[in-house]
Amino acid sequence: MKSLLFVGFLLLVSLWYLSFLATRLDRLHHRVETSWANLDVLLQKRAAIALEIAHSDLADPASSMLLTGAAYQARDANVKNRSMAESGLSGALGLIIADGLPHATDSEQALLQELSALTAKIRVAISIHTDAVSSAQMVRNKFVVKTFRLAGTAPLPLTYEFESDVL
Amino acid sequence: MLTKKLKIGIVCPYGWDTPGGVQNHVRDLAEFLIAAGHKVSVLAPATDENQLPDYVVSAGKPISIPYNGAVARVLFGPIAYARVRQWIASGEFDLLHLHEPAIPSISLLACWAAEGPMVGTFHAAAKRQKVIFAIGPILEPAIEKLSARIAVSEAARLTLTDHLETDAVVVPNGIYAKRYSAGIFHEKWAGNTIGFIGRFEEPRKGLQVLVDALPIIARFAPDVKVFVAGPGDPKEFVKEINPQLRDRFEFLGRISEQEKADFMSSVSLYVAPNTGGESFGIILAEALAGGACVVASDIPAFDSLLGGGEFGALFESENSIDLAKVIIDLLRDENKRKALASAGKKHAQIFDWDVVAEQIFSIYEMAIVGSKGVSLSSDGRTWGRFLSRDEEKK
Repeated sequence: MKSLLFVGFLLLVSLWYLSFLATRLDRLHHRVETSWANLDVLLQKRAAIALEIAHSDLADPASSMLLTGAAYQARDANVKNRSMAESGLSGALGLIIADGLPHATDSEQALLQELSALTAKIRVAISIHTDAVSSAQMVRNKFVVKTFRLAGTAPLPLTYEFESDVL
Repeated sequence: MLTKKLKIGIVCPYGWDTPGGVQNHVRDLAEFLIAAGHKVSVLAPATDENQLPDYVVSAGKPISIPYNGAVARVLFGPIAYARVRQWIASGEFDLLHLHEPAIPSISLLACWAAEGPMVGTFHAAAKRQKVIFAIGPILEPAIEKLSARIAVSEAARLTLTDHLETDAVVVPNGIYAKRYSAGIFHEKWAGNTIGFIGRFEEPRKGLQVLVDALPIIARFAPDVKVFVAGPGDPKEFVKEINPQLRDRFEFLGRISEQEKADFMSSVSLYVAPNTGGESFGIILAEALAGGACVVASDIPAFDSLLGGGEFGALFESENSIDLAKVIIDLLRDENKRKALASAGKKHAQIFDWDVVAEQIFSIYEMAIVGSKGVSLSSDGRTWGRFLSRDEEKK
């Protein structure tokens, strides 16, 4: 009788633990989604500013072409290729900023300022997102989570590779 | 960019009536946000509930526990937990900002109890402790609920990655830079003078290192004087000092914010000989903003705040001979002193609340994207869904 009670108790505790883990995982997936949505909005904004710069006098025809191409690529890329396309855009923007600054007019100066403020935000958003992804991945790799398929049908969060020094 | 008005709940883990860096930070941040038009409620332990500003809600009387080599005045337990839950439930916050959520305190309780956008700020810097293996698994599920983490310095960030394997965004502590740069020059503190502010009785503040360096300094600069400001009993301290040097020390007791600004603008050198336990070094930021030439020990927090020596001189921590050398060198060379002070003053602008609060607020904005605000957490959420009960009523 006693051992039966004990087994029942163990079963209850493990059931509670499983539901606790599932809630935790659900929360983490939610965090990954919101932080990605956040980053996505900021990156879209950056692409828009990049296009604006490309159409301004800051860029000569050649770099304007490069920038426009990179911006469209970044906008159209799917999740897997996104980070690479965005790095390409970072590189193109870096080129313009490096040699476009001295002869900028006021409105162009404002554009560049907006870009640098946005870049700072993107940096924060990336670090928040990477953090969410890595903790979600860590919990998903747990033995219990795998065996009991606690993640359900949620896709495995993807790490967003980004070279912050390029930004 | 502070456009959208939010309702923000801030949790301060330490007793509101005891002085401390975290409390000051929370107070300044809350007042800045209120001035910007946001609604702010601060939950903090307090001994005297009648002397609180109207934006502070008391969570009960703090208790003293030894933590991290010092005595922390914090609060936890079932009654505090109930109060925290009640504060969250009745607050209807858009966002919670928890300070130091990794210590046993109401911050951790709030992190445990709430669901929704939460930002955590980590202040402490400590060496890796063995005990983390035991408490890590308890902390982890709570800490990972935070939508974003802030560390106040590179040292605090390293502590966090070391202990809890999670990264953070570095946003420095804030100061009101304008208050300090408006400090008035006082003749009585000028000349070959060295300033020190802090609880000088605490060994980790390192005043002893300066005392040991003074005989050497006095040989090269006979008229040198040391002004020590801060709470404590100077009589006990003076007894230990070489009788010939006693008259070079002047103890000012605790000074007001205004006097502090004047002090920083007047002394030739501001010395921070701290031997450790410092995570950010707000006093250095204040000294820089006040236009003082700063000499500090090369502990990690100070080294990074002073840009590796670019904005103030560094000496080898706990080495009084090295300290003497640096001080003598600077007292003799006025140009070098002025150059360091003006570079420092310029640098101090990045710690101004205008800049810091905007950084914090942009993190808030990222945390609240797509959320419906803060609510009490229900760990039976999965069960609720399983039984197809709609938990999110809003």
